[in-house]
Amino acid sequence: MGILTIGTQALQANLVALQTAGNNIANVNTPGYSRQQVIMQTIEGQFSGAGYIGKGVSVETIRRNFDAFLTRQSAVAGSVQASDAIRAEFLAKLGDVFQGGAQGLGAAINDMMNAFSDVASAPTDMTARTVLLTRVDEAARRMTAEPQRLDEIQNGVTLQLQENADTINTLASNIADVNQQIARALGSGQPPNDLLDRRDQLLRDLNRLVQTSQVPADDGTVGVFIGGSQALVLGGAAATVTVAVDDFADTLKNKLAIVRNGVSVTLDENALGGGEVSGLLKFQNTDLVEARSLLGRITVAVTESINAQHRLGLDLDGNVGGNLFSATQFTAANVLVPVAPAQVNTGTNAVAGALRIGISDASRFAASDYDVRFTTGTTGLITRRSDGVVTDFSFAPGDGVSVPGVFSFRQAGDPVAGPFTGSAIDGLALGADVTTAPAAGDRFLLKPFSTASNAVNREFSTPRALAVGSPIAVSLTPTNLGSLAVSSLQAKTLATTSAAPIGNYTISFTVTATGTTYNILDSTATSVATGNYTSGKPVDFLPAGAPGFSLTLTGAPKQGDSLSIKQNNFANLSGGNAQAMMNLRDVTMFDGAALTDGYASMIGTIGIRSQSANYSAEVSSNIAVNAEKNRTSISGVNLDEEASRLLQYQQAYQASAKMIQIAQSIFDTLMAGLSR
Amino acid sequence: MSVNSLARLGTANAYDSTLRNLQTRQSDLSKLQESLTSGKKINRPSDDPTGAAQAERALNRIARIATDQRALESQRNAIASAESTLGDVTETLQNIRELVVSAGNGTHTAAERATIAAQINGLRDRVLSLSNAKDSNGLPLFAALGSALSPFVGPAATQPDYSFDGLPGQSSTDVYAIPFTLDGESAFMHQPARDGVFNVTVGNLTSPGNSIPTTRGLLTDNIAVTNTAVVANTAALAAATAGAPDYPTYTVTFTTVDSTTTPGTTAVTYEITETPAVTSGVNPIFAGAASYKTGETAKIAITGIPGLSFNITGTPPASDKAAGATVVGSPAVGDVITVAPRRSVFSVIDTAINDIGKAANANAVTQAVAQALHNIDKSMARVSAIRGQAGDLLVRADSITTTNSKRNVEQEGNRSRAEDLDMIQGISDFNNQQTGFQAALQSYAQVQKLSLFNFIG
Repeated sequence: MGILTIGTQALQANLVALQTAGNNIANVNTPGYSRQQVIMQTIEGQFSGAGYIGKGVSVETIRRNFDAFLTRQSAVAGSVQASDAIRAEFLAKLGDVFQGGAQGLGAAINDMMNAFSDVASAPTDMTARTVLLTRVDEAARRMTAEPQRLDEIQNGVTLQLQENADTINTLASNIADVNQQIARALGSGQPPNDLLDRRDQLLRDLNRLVQTSQVPADDGTVGVFIGGSQALVLGGAAATVTVAVDDFADTLKNKLAIVRNGVSVTLDENALGGGEVSGLLKFQNTDLVEARSLLGRITVAVTESINAQHRLGLDLDGNVGGNLFSATQFTAANVLVPVAPAQVNTGTNAVAGALRIGISDASRFAASDYDVRFTTGTTGLITRRSDGVVTDFSFAPGDGVSVPGVFSFRQAGDPVAGPFTGSAIDGLALGADVTTAPAAGDRFLLKPFSTASNAVNREFSTPRALAVGSPIAVSLTPTNLGSLAVSSLQAKTLATTSAAPIGNYTISFTVTATGTTYNILDSTATSVATGNYTSGKPVDFLPAGAPGFSLTLTGAPKQGDSLSIKQNNFANLSGGNAQAMMNLRDVTMFDGAALTDGYASMIGTIGIRSQSANYSAEVSSNIAVNAEKNRTSISGVNLDEEASRLLQYQQAYQASAKMIQIAQSIFDTLMAGLSR
Repeated sequence: MSVNSLARLGTANAYDSTLRNLQTRQSDLSKLQESLTSGKKINRPSDDPTGAAQAERALNRIARIATDQRALESQRNAIASAESTLGDVTETLQNIRELVVSAGNGTHTAAERATIAAQINGLRDRVLSLSNAKDSNGLPLFAALGSALSPFVGPAATQPDYSFDGLPGQSSTDVYAIPFTLDGESAFMHQPARDGVFNVTVGNLTSPGNSIPTTRGLLTDNIAVTNTAVVANTAALAAATAGAPDYPTYTVTFTTVDSTTTPGTTAVTYEITETPAVTSGVNPIFAGAASYKTGETAKIAITGIPGLSFNITGTPPASDKAAGATVVGSPAVGDVITVAPRRSVFSVIDTAINDIGKAANANAVTQAVAQALHNIDKSMARVSAIRGQAGDLLVRADSITTTNSKRNVEQEGNRSRAEDLDMIQGISDFNNQQTGFQAALQSYAQVQKLSLFNFIG
């Protein structure tokens, strides 16, 4: 009888093995499937006088081939790869916005600056003026269009973040469900292989979105944590994540928040580790913000310096020039305050927009946002976000009626205990509303450039209104004996109106054995400034409260030579201010780069970010591929292996069947013997 | 990988990774193809940020050089036409000079001289219009540091007859630019101290037409500037006192002629009057005396005018030589010699027209012709000096053009080095990749054929 039983058991066991191999083959391409293996064991033998006689085989369990470490390693590597890949993908889009060559913003700006040359050559040529105005318009459109392209990218990021948050929530609740099912199934004593595979796959999917850490519980469930220690899934309960705003409710930034039992906790994106969400947040909160700041800075700096110079000129009708571009407006959107649930400001009128940003020097801008934090009501610290440099400031509140509050900053040379002498930080002057009296701990976020460049327009389209004429003129005294020649004369610090022209100044030269000095005399022949004359070096005269000038002379004067500076009566034929505009090209403006080269360094900055993101993406992709390869070397199905298993078990099955046949024939033989 | 070298392979993963490798190869190939077709090794800044920034800067420089060169062409055109205009002016002045010389011909009648004066008048108009010439953009060529559309205005009824409506002085050449304009003030206007252009006329207060009687001669030579500083000071004082005419007019009036006190010697006295009286405020500013041998030609040096000097030559009437004649001599009481600054080339020509056309007698013609020739020569010297400057500027423009084209080549090289693809290397890389890709495809197809299932059943 034993042989038939053994044969039947063997037949069954090998059938199970064949089924399992078939199942493996069937699932060869199923993501997350772990190769299964039949574990057989012998049935304990029966004791007889001749020892133990085997009683056959039984299937102990179907084992899932699985390595917890490799599975987790693969999931984490996949998580980092997803983060790096999506950041690289969006940075590539960003790089497309900052194109070099003739299509770039830089070319538009430089074409515009160069167009002043034709106007300087022919100040009365309406065609040259019209071409210049067209170039100005073109530059303004570019300055407006580029931030819009950044907005489009930002919209893409925000949408994807929302989708990712929704997916995370679905995955988390699925994991919670599977957790429960696993806990129930484990009661049966056999591992629910497919449920476990399913949970691993869900976790892998979740890790692509946000990196998790898992802690297994005794009941077979796993706890899933994100952001280091925030529980997303505990047993059968899942928390939800939402896309939230930061402390300042900055519309250009997002954070991931986790809501558990009605309590929302905002997570720092740097603690998220890998995952698409982390990559998107890093891109949005650092790369995109920097790109916006760079773009905003180049826009504000270029338009403001051109405007300032244009306002120093006279148009064809002798009127003082206005703005060529729409003036930069710093509004409440540029000064943010914390909003609940963050710690809100407690001072009087310490609200968004209570601080006023003004432009002090367009050539000193840094492409950054600033954190202002009051340590007392009158002192505090301002942090430049781009590099974390902290500067002390003191604050004199307004009188509540008409005098606005004023900030002053500690400068490089200021003694630690002494007064604050700086009136501006990075070319920005700060003030406050007349009633603003911040309290200790109040915070403000200054965004001078990241929201600045949204609408730049050309202010006028009348060629006559281009103020390329110089409001002041120089004439050399005809009786001069030296070789003085005029290289350039530029009006400075203005308010030159036709009603209040520059005063008449005479500059006379004294030549001695030790050198040549100049003496600037006003209209009453009173000396107002003196200095050493060097050929080709500008003589700058900037009187307080009156129009000044910068005069560059070449050649060597003789004793007694002189020249005079006065209002220009021939401004309509003069291209002096166009020349001054062109000179702006070489003004150092962007962290030491000339205005002309500002865009080139911007391309470089964005390019470097994109390049390093590509590099990281490549590296993490390789790591992820290897980790996955390692995982599949344990868990993956190999068809050749399964083919050989099929043969192996098929033969065993056939042998078992043969065994039954033999048992049958033994039985038959026996029966035949008995019947005789 | 070493971990895997002996391990089993997941079939699906093997497919996946082979596919991924194929895709990577394909995308590399497509990148190379993009580079080959665009001819650039940098197709986006992230390919090589430093190179992209370098190329962008080089492009800026190239555009800048093109702008500089374009402006320079425009400047060169303006200066070239200014130079040729000054050539025309010189030629015209030469014509005037020839006419003036011909007017000195003693056989000419007053009517003929008037005709010559009319001819000079036409040429004066030409000089004036040349001086107001404009460039192709309609801007005055001789605007100096800035001027009205027509910088030279005149003649006015009162002094100064011609004026420069602009800002005197010369713009300097820059590294990559030359000026658009020449100093017209320096070319066409005269400064007393700098140029010493004065017109001297002779006359007599009492004779008809206030001219020296035909019987005797009274001529002067040209004014010599003896002290530039004094002239300059006087000019400044005059400008401060009376405004625009910035050098006083001087008259030398002979008050006494005495040939009896010392026999054989004629003593003359004269007074110099200054209008406006700026030197001391009191006229006459100088009372002088001179003597010469009675009956001979009088040579009198006048040094009483601040900073200036000249000589008077008085030729006695022929009748003085007759036996027993009453010696009249020259100069005579009431003879007046006027020294007036001529502030422009136009003014010099106008004076020539006036003095030659209206000359009453040979003495006046001689005086006028001599003065005109001297002053026209000085004017021509000024014009030539500025024309020389224009020539220098044109040479400078040529050298800047050469520099610009060198800079252009250099920047083009920088740009090319930064972003252009080395075609040979590009094609070679492309072929390599292509071969690699082909091999990968073939091996993929071959390897995937290998399966145990092919050998069983």
